Amino acid sequence: MIDHVIHAAVLMTTPVLLAALGGLVNRIAGLVNIGLDSMMLAGALVGLIVAAYTGNWMAALAAAAVAGGVLGFLMSLAITRLNANEIIVGLGFTIAVAGLVRFFLKSAYGSSGTLSLPDVAQLPRITIPVVADIPVVGAVLSGHDPLTWAAWLMVPLTVWFLARTRTGLRLRAAGGAPQAARALGLDPLALRDASTVYAGLMAGLGGAYLSIGVVGIFNEGITAGRGFIALAAFYFGNNGPWPTALCALLFGLFDALQIRLQGHGVPTEIVQTLPYVMVVVVLTAMAHAVRRRRAKGG
Amino acid sequence: MASPSVPPARLEARGICRRFGTVIANDSIDMRIERATVHAIIGGNGAGKSTLMRILHGMDRPDTGAVLVDGTPTQFAGPAAAFAQGIGMVHQEFMLVPGLTLLENLVLAHEPTDRFGRIDVAAAQVAAHTLARQAGVNLDWDMKIEDAPIHVRQILEILRLLYRGADVLILDEPTAVLAPAQVRDLIALLRTLRDEGCTVIFVSHKLDEILAVADTVTVLRSGRVVATKPVAETTKAMLAEMMIGQVLASPAARPSTPGMAVLEVAHVTARDGRGHVRVSDLSMTLRAGEIVGIAGVAGNGQDELAAAVTGLGAIDGGTIRIAGHDATHRPLSGRRPLGLGYLSPDRAGEGLCLAASIAENTIASHHRRPAFCRHGVLKRGAITRHVESLLDRYGVRRASAHLPVASLSGGNQQRVAVARELDGNPSVLVACQPTRGVDIHGIAFIHQCLLNFRDRGGAVLLVSEELDEVIALSDRILVLYGGRLTGEVARGSSGIDEIGRMMLGGARP
Amino acid sequence: MTGAASQPGSLWQPAAAMAAPFLAALAMAGVLLTVAGHNPFDVYGLLAVESFGSVKRITATLAAATPLMLTGLAIAVAFRAGVFNVGVEGCVYVGGLAAAFVGFTCTALPAAVLLPSSLAASLVAGSLWMLIPGVLKARLGVDEVVTTLMFNFIAISLAAYLVNGPLLAPGSANSATPMVAEAARLPRLAPPSTLNAGFLIAIALLVLYGLWGRHAALGFETRLAGLNARFAAASGISVPVLVVKMMLLSGAIGGLAGAVHALGNVGRFVTGFSPGYGFTGIAVALLGRNSAVGIFLAALFFGALATAGATIQLFSDVPIEIVSVVQGMVMIFAVAQFGWPWLRRRIAS
Repeated sequence: MIDHVIHAAVLMTTPVLLAALGGLVNRIAGLVNIGLDSMMLAGALVGLIVAAYTGNWMAALAAAAVAGGVLGFLMSLAITRLNANEIIVGLGFTIAVAGLVRFFLKSAYGSSGTLSLPDVAQLPRITIPVVADIPVVGAVLSGHDPLTWAAWLMVPLTVWFLARTRTGLRLRAAGGAPQAARALGLDPLALRDASTVYAGLMAGLGGAYLSIGVVGIFNEGITAGRGFIALAAFYFGNNGPWPTALCALLFGLFDALQIRLQGHGVPTEIVQTLPYVMVVVVLTAMAHAVRRRRAKGG
Repeated sequence: MASPSVPPARLEARGICRRFGTVIANDSIDMRIERATVHAIIGGNGAGKSTLMRILHGMDRPDTGAVLVDGTPTQFAGPAAAFAQGIGMVHQEFMLVPGLTLLENLVLAHEPTDRFGRIDVAAAQVAAHTLARQAGVNLDWDMKIEDAPIHVRQILEILRLLYRGADVLILDEPTAVLAPAQVRDLIALLRTLRDEGCTVIFVSHKLDEILAVADTVTVLRSGRVVATKPVAETTKAMLAEMMIGQVLASPAARPSTPGMAVLEVAHVTARDGRGHVRVSDLSMTLRAGEIVGIAGVAGNGQDELAAAVTGLGAIDGGTIRIAGHDATHRPLSGRRPLGLGYLSPDRAGEGLCLAASIAENTIASHHRRPAFCRHGVLKRGAITRHVESLLDRYGVRRASAHLPVASLSGGNQQRVAVARELDGNPSVLVACQPTRGVDIHGIAFIHQCLLNFRDRGGAVLLVSEELDEVIALSDRILVLYGGRLTGEVARGSSGIDEIGRMMLGGARP
Repeated sequence: MTGAASQPGSLWQPAAAMAAPFLAALAMAGVLLTVAGHNPFDVYGLLAVESFGSVKRITATLAAATPLMLTGLAIAVAFRAGVFNVGVEGCVYVGGLAAAFVGFTCTALPAAVLLPSSLAASLVAGSLWMLIPGVLKARLGVDEVVTTLMFNFIAISLAAYLVNGPLLAPGSANSATPMVAEAARLPRLAPPSTLNAGFLIAIALLVLYGLWGRHAALGFETRLAGLNARFAAASGISVPVLVVKMMLLSGAIGGLAGAVHALGNVGRFVTGFSPGYGFTGIAVALLGRNSAVGIFLAALFFGALATAGATIQLFSDVPIEIVSVVQGMVMIFAVAQFGWPWLRRRIAS
């Protein structure tokens, strides 16, 4: 039984993890991306359609990534070049893209909310021969799709990228002190735009996972606010890739558990509030720590 | 024209003029900065140091005159162009990125990388240690910047300039943020760099430091070069005299008859935003019917003293009493009812609300008086009448009181602020830089307002960088240096030169 | 005294500033319609007719605009003090649930008491919901945007839990509370349209807000705090106290929007209670530039889009979702500063 829960938890973590890693890099470069959910939604839709028409899941993932990246680019331009408030733009994108998606579904497919296409190429599952039979470990490692593997590999990769590469360092500078970065000859706005495109790309992949990774259909509520859960994950993880990933896993675990706990006393909706409550708690704790440090004369 | 046998100076200013509107910031400045020397530039507030520094490192261009680099006249397109010629500046606001280590900040934007865009950490460390050894300092390169103390950050800024290839280092008041022991370390560092062949331009007003570190000193006053001399041939007294120059005699003002104490500052210690002590065990008393001026060069604790008295800044120790009441722990909103008025030094950011109307700015902080407000509802008619008459009395030239106050000239804006503060009939008015950015007529008018206020029994704590103003208005002058009161001079006494010396750190003889 | 921008004869500038984002959004949506094979002018013409073409349609538009007037006002009130409250959606849920709860629980109360009590419950609930974010901002400087955003989701989930559990209407399969008592319903103004007394309440509050802004000492202080917090502090205004007060007020008005929806339109509380009133309210406040008249007009526009959009869906094959697209784009255009500041910066440096 526990194997099933673990397996389900990992499955449910993947989309949030992808979006959270993207959002994390975005925030490090200086932009809080409230529109992750819209990029996931777009990725889910585009991924499904391309998977159905080409029968190729890799093409579908690529298309989903591009869709998310384009949205990220547009959103970033509005913020960095037109000086628009990033929160409002993020919310605006969320609303507009949600409407756009439903508009498109109705116009192109005559459907109101759900899209089910034939011959959707879903993500393959990789079963590792001997490992699969080991309890717990087998559930963790075997039977997952390439995107899940990629998502978890991205965690140490992101750590390495931020700490050890030139671009990673410059992204951190663009977010930490844009004036200083500019004084040294860097272009913080361009770096920020690039990070938003990356976030959109990752969110698009996460969205594609929702449509072609598990169920093989699309419906307008498929993201179920996961873009915002991803936001909670990287806020809570305080911009560290491993804490963020563990946070996303925690949320995935809650998700997997609450389906089983239904009817056993723990209300699902209360569990659903946990990510958001955690963010508020973390922000409060951090502000408190800053106050205390300042009072000491630091 | 330099004769061929004299080697060109590393950096030279020839006939540099720069004006902003009617203000002449730099007036025909000629200055040679020789290679591998520490060249100090000294001058009081408004002497033109900042403008000159901006021109020398490419942030600004002179109206006439030229900057010569190694003898060649050059026009910098911007700071990057100046840097390409080896000229770099350590700003007072450090350009360091929080969250990065010292090493990362050092190499940022010039990272040694391999083919894959990976940072070559070993190469970076070698470069860092080499620089540190050359400079004779020892740094923990893996420490995060925000954990590093200020003087370490400053050293890093200097090393970064060297790393990027600068050999002319301009430092603008670098010791303002340092403790005395750290000042000695900085002086040692600069000397070492000079011995290695760097050229250091050191802007300061602290005579002791200049005499300790510099080879040559240039004195600026009112935008002009007074003199350039080797340090070995000068004394503190000479420098002070060159810096202060002639001070206008004070106009005839009625002698004051001070009454009871309205402001008592006792053993107050205050820190700045970074935690450094800026005011140290300071005590003073202000009486009704007198103007007490605080004289001192910017950065010696005046801002923190004003903040302590007004309640906008916290104090570490001591007490403040306003009109007999203990106000030590009250915020500004709690001190105004005790009779405190406050003329902010930052007119645009704090003294006025630029986006609000002239009328709104004039009535703010008084709008809840019974004459203007009943049960929380403003009496707009009474307010408008009062505002109009007040603005007329203070000579505020305006098209309409409902236009934003930003539409007024600087002088008129300040009249609005003065009108508002005096209208509140305070017992003590803390007036900081009351005529900064004000035209000649406005200055005279505001001075008269303050004197009239004093004659009516008001008390003024005047904090100003303009020594002329402090001398003209004050009944007593307290000199502030390094956060302590180093002397007191009464009106009409012949202690003007004394004041200058006390402001620069010379002890009272 | 009047605000600085109100000079006679210069009404064009604020009016143009208000219309520009709306027109830009309509233009972009027009492109979308064209691509999808519709004629944008026909569609917009149809929208205009369907919103304002007859008395019946006008009342429908007003009814749809009512909750938006309130949420727009809630956001404007906070923003006036310099606080970005994006948590009004949560207040709508909390307030609507509270009002419905009183409405179907305290049925023993006489009619004259029940309705005001229900409304009062929504004010209290909405207000308390913003207490934590307000205090966190005032005392610790915690970014109110993220906290209020999070509180939205917490509110929606909490309300869902209550509706699916303790407050579920007995015998009801879908997640809904029992209907509120007839005495708690907001009276209809022009049956059979859904326009109800909530509209009058909204208008009254907008008028009050306009007056408060001009005539109240607190209104004046709030304006100063929003324009320049340092100046306000130096003038003796306690900005943290003001922030908390305005957040509470903002939450209360948001809660009232929920009550109006629960007691005027739906008659109870259900999951999926609000069609994004709190978020549309942001667009309303931005478009209306936080002024009473602006909020009214902007709410009217979005209300028109909502009702007309629903109707034209029946007559044409234009999906109603074009409304969401317009709404989202209005928000973006309203905060974008065209004037190409980045280009100017380039030239300056």
